[in-house]
This record gives sequence, C-alpha cells and structure tokens, in this order.
Amino acid sequence: MRRIFQINGEETECWLSHDGNRFILNTPDGAHPCRLDPAGAPGGHVLRTRGRVQDLRLAVGPDATFVHMNGRTYAIGRVDPAERLAGRDGGAADDRIVAPMPGTVVSVNAKPGDHVREGQPLLDIESMKLETSLTAPRDGVVAEIPFAAGDSFGLKATLALLAPEED
Amino acid sequence: MGISKLLVANRGEIAARVLRTARARGLATAVLRHSSEQEGPAHLIADEVVTIEGPTPVAAYLDIPQIVEAAQRIGADAVHPGYGFLSENAGFVAVLDKAGVTFVGPTSEVIDLMGDKVRARAFVEERGFPVAPSAIEDDDPASFVERARAVGYPLLIKPSAGGGGKGMRVVPEGGALESEIETARREGERYFGDGRLFVERYIERPRHIEVQVMGDGQGNVVHFWERECSIQRRFQKIIEETPSPALTPEQRGEICETAAGIARAVNYRGAGTVEFIYAQNGAFYFLEMNTRLQVEHPVTEMVTGFDLVAEQLRIAAGEGLSAAQADIPQNGHSIELRICAEDAREDFRPAIGDILLLDEPRGEGVRVDSGILDGGEVTTDFDAMLSKLIVHGPDRAEAIARARQAVQNYVILGLTTNTGYLDAILAHPDFASGDVSTGFLAEQADTLTAPTEDVSDMLLAVAALSDERLVDEVMQVPQMHRKMGGWRN
Amino acid sequence: MRRIESQIDTNSPDFKANHAAMSERLEEFHARQHAARFERPQRDIDRLARQNKLGVRERLNLLLDPGTPFLEFSTLAACREYDGAVPGAAVVTGIGIVQGREVAIHANDASVKGGAWYPHTVKKIVRLLDVALENRLPVIHICDSAGGFLPLQHGVFPDRYLGGRVFRNQVKLSQANIPQIAVVGGHCTAGGAYVPTLSDYNIIIEGTGAIFLGGPPLVKAATGEEVGVQELGGAVMHTSVSGTGDYRAATEEQAFSLAREIVSQWTRPPKTIIETAAFEEPYYDPKELYGIIPKDRKTQFDMREVLARIVDGSRFHEYQPDYGTTMVCGFAHIWGYKVGILANNGVLFNDSSLKAAHFMQLCNQNGTPLIFFQNITGYMVGREYEERGIAKDGAKMLMAQGGSVVPKFTVIANASYGAGNYGMCGRAWDARTLFMWPQAEIGVMGADQAANTMADVKIRQLEREGKKLSEEETAAIRDPVLEKFRRDVEAYTSTSELWDDGILDPADTRNALGMSISASLNAPIDDPHYGIFRL
Repeated sequence: MRRIFQINGEETECWLSHDGNRFILNTPDGAHPCRLDPAGAPGGHVLRTRGRVQDLRLAVGPDATFVHMNGRTYAIGRVDPAERLAGRDGGAADDRIVAPMPGTVVSVNAKPGDHVREGQPLLDIESMKLETSLTAPRDGVVAEIPFAAGDSFGLKATLALLAPEED
Repeated sequence: MGISKLLVANRGEIAARVLRTARARGLATAVLRHSSEQEGPAHLIADEVVTIEGPTPVAAYLDIPQIVEAAQRIGADAVHPGYGFLSENAGFVAVLDKAGVTFVGPTSEVIDLMGDKVRARAFVEERGFPVAPSAIEDDDPASFVERARAVGYPLLIKPSAGGGGKGMRVVPEGGALESEIETARREGERYFGDGRLFVERYIERPRHIEVQVMGDGQGNVVHFWERECSIQRRFQKIIEETPSPALTPEQRGEICETAAGIARAVNYRGAGTVEFIYAQNGAFYFLEMNTRLQVEHPVTEMVTGFDLVAEQLRIAAGEGLSAAQADIPQNGHSIELRICAEDAREDFRPAIGDILLLDEPRGEGVRVDSGILDGGEVTTDFDAMLSKLIVHGPDRAEAIARARQAVQNYVILGLTTNTGYLDAILAHPDFASGDVSTGFLAEQADTLTAPTEDVSDMLLAVAALSDERLVDEVMQVPQMHRKMGGWRN
Repeated sequence: MRRIESQIDTNSPDFKANHAAMSERLEEFHARQHAARFERPQRDIDRLARQNKLGVRERLNLLLDPGTPFLEFSTLAACREYDGAVPGAAVVTGIGIVQGREVAIHANDASVKGGAWYPHTVKKIVRLLDVALENRLPVIHICDSAGGFLPLQHGVFPDRYLGGRVFRNQVKLSQANIPQIAVVGGHCTAGGAYVPTLSDYNIIIEGTGAIFLGGPPLVKAATGEEVGVQELGGAVMHTSVSGTGDYRAATEEQAFSLAREIVSQWTRPPKTIIETAAFEEPYYDPKELYGIIPKDRKTQFDMREVLARIVDGSRFHEYQPDYGTTMVCGFAHIWGYKVGILANNGVLFNDSSLKAAHFMQLCNQNGTPLIFFQNITGYMVGREYEERGIAKDGAKMLMAQGGSVVPKFTVIANASYGAGNYGMCGRAWDARTLFMWPQAEIGVMGADQAANTMADVKIRQLEREGKKLSEEETAAIRDPVLEKFRRDVEAYTSTSELWDDGILDPADTRNALGMSISASLNAPIDDPHYGIFRL
C-alpha cells in the first residue's frame, strides 16, 4: 500500500487507499482523490486529480513508470518500502563464522589482519564429501582463523572471526 | 557494372533507411546482425539477414574479412557501408575491390586522402581553397610546439587521423599548450591508434556549415546545398538544418561552389560532405571532407526532393548523376533532431532499458528514420542515437514549430531520452533567431536542462494508479473496510 | 425494504436537552479514552525512548494497512482498578486489517508498567483470543511485557481463565489452523516466552527483543551463570542457534514489514456467505442518536428511531409489527450485511418473548446474523404473568437465543437489567462482540430498586430489633448503598471489568457492528439445532 516514488532524484513516500468509490493518494501534502482511466492510443490514459484532467501516455517498467504528457517524458522510480527495509538485512552480520557441520579445513585463504570484502572466501572446508567455501559475512578485518589446512573441527566451531565493527 | 544484390554493412536507422531505397530500386537486399543484437527495423526490411560474430557487437561490424566473406557468400555484388563503422575505411574498400564487390562510395584513394586530416588540408590549401591558419606536426615534429604557438591563440588541437570531434582540445590564450598536446596525443592513440596531431586557429563562436556533394567519378560533381550543424555538444551534432540561417544567397553560392570545387579536385565519386568552419565575420575555412553519407543527410533530401541513397546507388551502378546542378532546388526549410537514449540532466549519461511503448510522430512534413522497434531493448553496445526526427516546412519558423510539435509527440517510454532537451533547444530564443554557434549548447547548458513545470503531484498519482501490485494490494482490503477508511472507535 | 419514518423533531426542547446531556457524557468518554491511549507519565515515555522502542500505537500503525479501520476492544479496561494506574490494562487488543486481511491483534503496551500482566490484562488477552477462536481470525501478538505482575499473581496465574488460558487458546488456535505471528519487540520472559514460541511465526527485533524462560538475574540466582540478555535470548541467538525465533529484524519498521509479508503468504480461506446488499448510509444522521437517547434513563424511547440511525438507508422490514410490541423484531442491512434485529421497546411480556423466540429461529433458519439492542428492565412480573407462564416463555426465548448458531452481536443501548440481559444475549451468551453506550447501565436490577431492596432488608431487621428509624436514619442507611450501586451499574464499571468489549460513542455503532459482522464471517455457520423448548 506504500510506495516510495523517485522523481528527478527526489523521493516521496506515499500510500494509496480506496474509499469504495475512488482511489486516494496520500502524499506528504495531503490526501488527494485520483482516477486513471485508459483512453485511446496504446498506453493512453486520462488522469483526474486535484481538479485537473490530464491526457497522457504511460508505460510501466519493472522499477520505473514512464509518462508522456504535455509533450514531455517523465520517469518515476518506484520502490516498495518493504524491499528497502529488507535490503538492510537483519542488522549487522555476525562477526563469527561458525562451522555449519563437523569437517576438515581444506585451505585457508586469509590471515589475521587481512582486510576482506563481504563475500570474499576466507576458507574452504570439506565435510560430508562436499567442499564448501566460507565467505566473509561483511567487509572487515580478519581477527582470527584458528584452524589450518588439514585440521578437523566440530559442529559450531568458530572457523573465523572478524574484528568487531567500530561505530 | 550494374548492381543486383546489396549488402548493407551497417545497422540501426541508417541500415533501414538504405534498405528502403534499395528495395524501392528493385535490388535484392541483405543486412548484418550481430548474434547478440536485438531485432531492429532493418532486419524486417531486408530480404536476408546475415549473422556476424565478434567479441563485442561493435568489433563484429568492424571485422573486414568476416563482412567481405559474408558478402561473397550471399552473392552480394555491392556493399553499402552507411556511416560510421567501415564507411571511411580505405582498407575495406581495397579488399572489396579485390573481391570484385562494388563499394557504394568513393575510391579507396580518396578515402585515404580525406581520411588523413593533414594531407586533406594540405591538398585543399594547395588548390587555393580557404583553410584556417594551422601547424602540422608531421611537417617538422621538433618545431611543432613553436609553430603551433605561432598560429596564434586560441588554438584547436586535432588528431591527424581523427573525426567526429574525438580527441579535439581547445587551448585558450595562456593555456598549457604542451600538456594539452600530450593529452590530445594520448586520446588520438586511444581512439585512432595514431598520435599525430595538428593545430589550427580556433575560431571564436564559429558555426559549422557543411555542403552535400555528389560526384560520378567521371569528373561531374554537383552540390545539394548546405547544412548548418552548429548545434553540437562536445563536437557531436544534435540538431541540423538547411538552409543555414547564417548565409546570404551570395555566401551560400560561394560556400557550395567551394565544396563542389574541392570534390571536383579529387574527381569525387558518390556522396560526400565538405565541412567548413564559418566565422562570425562571414569567412569560412575548410574543415574536412567526409567521404560517406552523413547522419544528417535527410534534411538535404527534404529540401531538394532527391533521394541521396538512390543517387549513391545510381552512381555505384554506373548510371551517373540523375540531375544537373540547375535541377537541384532548395525548397523550404528542414530540421533534423537526433533522438538519443541519454539523460540530459545527468550529464548526458547514456540510458538503457526496454522500449515499453513507442509511438512516432506522424503528419505532414514529418519523417522519422528510426533504428528501434516497440518492445526492443536499448543497450550500451552501440551509439546512443535511437532515431532521427526530420521535419520540413515552408520556412524556418514553420519548420521549428513542426519540429517542436513532432518532438513533443514522440512517445518513447521505457528509458530516458533527450526529447525534452531537444524541445528546449528548439524553444530557445537564440535558436529561433538563428543566432547560434557551436558553443551554444555549452553556453546554454543550464537553461536547456532547467527544471520544467513541476508536475510531481500528477506523476505520483499516475505512478501509484498504474502500479498493479499496489492497486491489487489496496483492493484486497474488503470494500467495507476501505470505505470506513482510518476509522477508530 | 421500507424506510423508517422518523417522528423525531430535532428542534424540540427534549431533543436538545438530551443532545446536550449526551454530548457532555461523550466529551468525558472521549477524554478518558484519549488519556487511556496516550497519556503516560513522562518517565515511562522517556524509558521507551531510551530503550529505542516505538510506542504500541506507532507499532500498530506500522502493522496495519494504512487508511483502514481498527476496532479496538476495551480501551477503558481496568479504568476502575489499580487506582487507574493501568490504563487499558496495559494491553491493546482489537481487529484490524493487515494486507487486506482481518486479523486480531494483541499488543502489550510497554508504556504502562513495562507491559506487565495484571489480572485485567490477562482477562483482556484471553477475551481477544476467544474472539480470534470464535471468528477464526489470525492473531498477531506484539510482545513487550515485563511478565506477570507478581504482587497480584493469584489474579494472574492459577485459575481457568487466567494466564494459562492465553497459552491454551494459542494452542487451540494453532490446532484450528488459525495462524499466529508474534513480533517480539521487548522481553518475553517465563510464561511470556510461550507467546512467541506457540505462534506459528515469530520475528525478533534485534537489540530490544529477547525470549527466555529465565532472565539474566534469575539465571544468576539459580545457577550462578552470568550471561547477557543478547546471548541468553537475543535475536541473533534465537534465529541462528536455537531456532526459537524465525526472523530477526534490524528495526521495528522491518519487523512489522516482515509481519505484513508473512500475512500476505497465507491462503485466504473463503468467508461465509450471507445475504448482502449494496452499502447505503443511514438516511437519518447517526449523530441524532445523541438527542434520541433520553437524559433520564427511565424515559421510554422508540428503538426504531435508534435503528433508523444505524441501519443501511434507515430501512427496516419489521416482523409482526402489531404483536408483542415491546419487542421490535425485523430485518435490515448493516454495511450491506443482512441482519436480524431484536430491540426492546419496553418490558418483556409473554407475547414479546414468544415473538423473539420465533424470530430468532427464522434468522437461524435463514443464516442471518442477530443483533440485539438492549434497553431492558426485565421480564414482566406479577400473578397474571406467572399464570400465563412468563418464566416458561422466557425460557423459550433463552433456548432460542442460546441455541442460535448464527453470529450474535449485542449493543447495550440503555438499560440491561435482570434476566432481560440473558434473553437479549448478555455477556454470558457468547455475543461475538458486545458494546455499551456510555450512559447505559447493567445490573441485576436498577440501582434505585436494588438500593431500596437492600436498605429495606436492613431497616426491617433493625425494626425487628425494636428500633424506630427517623427519615434521616433511613437515608443514612440507604444513600451509601444507592451510591455504591449507582456506580456499580455504570458502563465504566462494566468496561473496567471487561463485561463488555468496550464503550461506544453511539455514532460509532454502525462501524463497530460492520467490523464485527465481517469478522464473524471468517467462521462457518452451523445448521440450526436447539434444545428442548418448554411448550
């Protein structure tokens, strides 16, 4: 029901409702009944809002809506606020990389003090006949990698530790 | 030496445009298509589409052996190069000649000569045509900087092998000439694989005026009048028109005859364009000669009534020119707008995206040479130019009015284009009065990209109401609860 | 359906006097509601801010679909308990809309005593979960509670309908395939830990949310182990190690966004279909109710005038208009839903009882929900009526009412005295929702009669002991009893004790009923069946 719209680099959060007869767009400057009816040419529509009647052409892309009206073309970016919240992830990633199952270290690709990027492989492990690459959960500095190649480890052993993030 | 089957070694709008004329002349036609390329209008027109491969799409269109092999394989007896790509590649022409395939264009020697800015300039100067004061590095590399300084500031540094404005640098009075020369050299090497340079006097507030010429290679050359191309951004033409609002009839005659004279001097064959720098005082200097069909050729077609591609094909087929100079009129006024996928408000960053809706303007005096199809995809593989909008009117004012109406009615939805920017140029009072120079766009950059009327309230409503997921979500609320709104007891 | 022709003169002195009296009452009522919802000591507001938590109302706004209604239950629960220091019983409950779906919401209000569970808190939560069970409404729990209020643990913990019932109802909901989500926005300690763990889905807000059977101090006391809140039961531990938590959210906004996303994953079971018509606002202005309800409770008024300001288009199809006239029965629409209405226009006689019993059977046969508008002083007493079998006819009405399978809703519009309360679907009779108007009274009899009855007993006892009482002495005995009784029958007492689901501004009745009826249709309606009618 909520959307963040981007026009010329400016963001506006709105929500849409429908009172049974008409849509109402709730914007930071108030609630405005509005109506959009298809008309004529491909993509042709008539918009009614705030006392105005406007002919336009429109096309809806996956992330943006394109509107042609009064001889100009406009692009309006659309963001679902929920997606943006989700993008923030479940907060700060953990500093520890914990063994998902018991196994053996195949190779170690980083050492304490290394600056690593999120997703960078830190070590490869083998367990249950499968090799898995364990990657840095966030950008940071490696604090500790307690195991060397060939070492065995148990379930939930800490395989790598990143230095805590400084706020 | 007639032609029966033509391969167009190009893509986009120009391929489509050439193919239309070729088909109208009854030729069998073929066009290239890179394996990763979207289908465009040209592919719908051509009888045959030849798939080419390459590490990048552009590389494929530059791959001479592959293209010549393709021409032979499909039995094409002529190749039209369009503009760009291999259109001014003397080596390509030489290989085609050897293969017995007709190149629709000048001889490799002429291409070679005119392709070398330094030699071309010397050639023209020697024959008494006007050129701007200059210094050529090759003449004596050791004294180049000194000679350059002697030409007099401001200076324009150009790569000898260049074209299209790439690698050109302006050095103002007191500017760092040496370092600019080095930068220009590096750019020349990067773009053209050739770091040789020359400098010439930079003309203040110059206009860019060019003349369309056509020769039969038998000594006959006619001109199709001039085109004014002063609306440029970083040496890239944006809007072209004819006739030029700057020229008096006498100047027009003089500049067109000069161009024809230059073409005659090389016994020119096919379509070519002689470009001039036109100073505010009415002086003009030879800039370069483009030995191909220009992007902006349609404005010439609109005022003369000639199909320049048809003329090219006639000449290539040995049929000669279809008209004498006296038969070539200049009727009314024509303007071309280059429709590009770019964001004028974001420093003309190329825009990409799917073309979700395409509706080209139509009407009297409106022509669209388009390289895109509704539902197509615009990538950064090629140039940002999507199509050309050409209008014709009885006079300049009416042509501008038509151009504005047409560009405003040009519906391309799905990616950002420069239609609004083009309209802002057309609406500018200096453009209306014709008082422009090649610096116009840079000088007016802020005015031309200034925000227009704020219609955000309408846009928000459109974006919300056309968002099906949003509307679905809203309509999932049972009707009664919707009607109650935010009621609280 | 014909429109009720109102006989009310809105310019009459009576109307104006009533309107003024009701407006004054409503002003007080709205002020009290506002205070219960929003007015908190500064230190409690500061504490929430310090803990980086949103207030419960802000949380609801994040959860609910914007621009949709929320029917809040028992806003003034516990208003006459704990010296008024536990507004709303420290919990917000109600029915709202999330992703277009009706859900029941149970949200601790941590700005009141840290969201601790008082006896009335438990009662309010259990009631909400009963509503969810009866109407098959998914439940969203917003957990942020300090746990049971220990000094009153005997009123929170042991009995059948106390704390355990919350968890028992959660189990029953799950068993009935009614989904629940818990958003843990504070600590869920001891029993409280079972709210999220018995929910089908739970979300823990990082930093503020935690779940454990024993908090760090208790652990230290019990085993000596020293452990921090986050390690013991924080979001990261529960979502990655114990699996007690399903989702962890970085912020409150993300938590409620996730909850909404979860709701949108659920299949929508089809709702029960009843007869509906297009919406029509009442023809007469609902605000005119203020002038129709007499300022003196003993003054009789025509319930049709009330119905005309609540039902769609003020249209009413009256059943047996000329028989048993103290019982008004008929069909109408509320928010488009076809309903059968029973409204009191005086005391219940034999004929009115029989008419009510018959009409309720019609509605059950027809699958039409029942709405009771109470203004009832009781069943008629006296020899003649006993001889006519008033108790037997009253029993028929109870049998029909109690045996009804269609959803029932009750509005105590004015008086609710004695067995009339039973016949007209009082609290004990499973109305899906039951609301009171602010001037309404509830009791075994009217306050004056009750006070007189009690005073008389006392006076007669004293007289038997040979004491002769002066008028002043009689008054001294009677007046305190009367005062207590008057207070005990007030709507505020009822709502404080959760004998109702809240006090309503009469003008809100239509929406409250619309929301209630719509919610009830999430549950199926059985075929009608009854016990033995005493014929």
